[in-house]
Amino acid sequence: MDNPKASTLASAGKFLGPFLPAVVVFLVAMVWGTLASPFFLDIPVLLLHSGRYMEIGLLALAMTLVIIHGDIDLSVASNLAFSAAMLGLVYESGASIAVASVAAIAVGTTLGLFNGFLVTVVGLPSLVVTLGTLALYRGMAQIALGDQAVTGYPDGFVGADQNLVFELIPLPLTVFIVMAVLIGFLAHRTTFGFVSLMLGKNQVATMFSGLQPKMNRLIAFALSGAMAGFAAVLITARLGSTRSNLALGFELLVVTIVVLGGTDIFGGKGTIGGTVLALFAVIAVREALAIQNVNGQIQDAVIGLILVLTIAVPVAVSRLFGRVKVSRRKALLGLEKGTTQ
Amino acid sequence: MRASMREGRSLARNLARFRDVGIGGIVVAVAIAFGAVNPLFFRPENLFAILLAVGIIVVLAVGQMLVIISRQIDLSIGSTLGVAAMVTAMVGRDFPDVPTIVLVAVAVGVGALLGAFNGFLVVGAKIPAIIATLGTLAIYRGLVFIVSNNIQVNPSEVPSGVTALARVSSVGIPPIVLIGVGVVLAGWYFTRKTMTGLRLYAVGSNPEAATARGLSPLKFQFWVFVVMGALAGLGGLLYIARYSTVNPADVGSGFELQVISAVVIGGTNIFGGSGSVVGVLMGVFLVGILANGLTVIGVSGFWQSAAYGAIIIIAVVVDTLVRRQMSSGGRKEKGELDG
Repeated sequence: MDNPKASTLASAGKFLGPFLPAVVVFLVAMVWGTLASPFFLDIPVLLLHSGRYMEIGLLALAMTLVIIHGDIDLSVASNLAFSAAMLGLVYESGASIAVASVAAIAVGTTLGLFNGFLVTVVGLPSLVVTLGTLALYRGMAQIALGDQAVTGYPDGFVGADQNLVFELIPLPLTVFIVMAVLIGFLAHRTTFGFVSLMLGKNQVATMFSGLQPKMNRLIAFALSGAMAGFAAVLITARLGSTRSNLALGFELLVVTIVVLGGTDIFGGKGTIGGTVLALFAVIAVREALAIQNVNGQIQDAVIGLILVLTIAVPVAVSRLFGRVKVSRRKALLGLEKGTTQ
Repeated sequence: MRASMREGRSLARNLARFRDVGIGGIVVAVAIAFGAVNPLFFRPENLFAILLAVGIIVVLAVGQMLVIISRQIDLSIGSTLGVAAMVTAMVGRDFPDVPTIVLVAVAVGVGALLGAFNGFLVVGAKIPAIIATLGTLAIYRGLVFIVSNNIQVNPSEVPSGVTALARVSSVGIPPIVLIGVGVVLAGWYFTRKTMTGLRLYAVGSNPEAATARGLSPLKFQFWVFVVMGALAGLGGLLYIARYSTVNPADVGSGFELQVISAVVIGGTNIFGGSGSVVGVLMGVFLVGILANGLTVIGVSGFWQSAAYGAIIIIAVVVDTLVRRQMSSGGRKEKGELDG
């Protein structure tokens, strides 16, 4: 027990634990892709391809915060679609693309605030609220655009995602990294982040702690909306056109990435670093499958399987090794003593 | 004190009943409004179309209600329906002489099997239902693709015995509707008249207390997923009957949201322990009438999703306010007693 080597090992294991599934998946996918095709391991190409996952990545960053709070935001993809629709309509009305982009981010933030308002002020369950706004915001995008597409965005804007920073990292990836650092700082180095974790662990206790948990949750939802706005700008620059069915079904992939990154779906535990790793794990899997011409539906199924295994395997392992089981049970009992009494 | 408790309980029961009646009222009001704008809404052909749509959704919604009562959720139902529909349609295509009842068994069996796998993931592998079924939502959709080899089953290949389910039978009512009615009645009987149904509520509203009373929440949680799967499989059969075409790319996709919405609008508590079949039936009708009515009165289809979302939110807001009124009333009563 006093062996310092063992304790550093244990603490390293504790630190790596939540990241382990994502890291393993990433490495396996990279090796597998490399074995499957000699063209797979081309770093600049992989980086360029990763650009199109960054909209999902941005949503996943804010979703991590929302889920750490013990909430969920299923409306992110619909929010993205409506924000993009507003970007298109504002631009069509004669405003500059910069103004239109700011408008999209403002709209996204507003819709996020509306979710947050219903959850924190009115006091509704976030699962139901955002299920409702998932339909509502998508519907608003459909009303705004009908079956028309907005096109004709300026040249420098469309294709901006192909720009490379330091001649290597595509612009969307750069935006993602900056956001990840900012949100990571917010989640792990500030009082805000501390309150988030407390809220997720024990909402009632946090309410009595003299902090302002409602504000905290509201901010998380607003941030989720803001990221949808940012993602709307990125996706418009990448595709060069806006339709109401943009990002359809993204919410499930976003939640999958967050959970794969070790965030507890019931809140109270999670890291931005884990989400970033999980995003790259998912990108690696999809690229490894895509280079072998595997159909998109199967790609989704593989990700779904990985999601299930990520949680099932640790449970199975801890059952197989009694020692872990005992210590776990002890921990659980201790926890139960703390919460139920 | 006993008396006041009994009073409180009957008050709660009355309010719950009032809620079902309330949604029923909204359904009727919405229907009358649509009819007033366009009398064609009340044409038999149109009501028939509504019933066909409602018949499929209600089968899934009753199952989802049971799942949610037990504190779980099943996001994979659209994909489960998809696999069941695809397998059944393929059996029908490749063995045209198979009697319809065998196809029913195939659909229900495939669904129950997939439901059991969900149940195993949740109960055996200890994965939270929302994540397990988020995973199987994608896995089962992949399964549709693999099973079908990405080839769709065309209307000409579907046995006439199955498509007959969506047509008016000798009784004057299409069998889809009768099956829907049957599932609703069975669900109502199970939740209101059987001991097992009562225990399901107990397990959902307080698993620890239920365990202390000798019930096994895990067993209930497993079986609600099996039942949900079987009903989704049945829904798959009805899907074939109604649409005739089974396309691997989109069969049953998005059903999970429609169904969960209807269940929530119907007053089922998303945190488990409460919900009524009558309320869910009303929720399904509201969703079905809205989808149909907006088209009939000439509102562009683009408004549908927004109306849908707005209704979910309004329903939940009203629900929560009523519930809060109820519980604060109870608290006051208790405070008086204590004083």
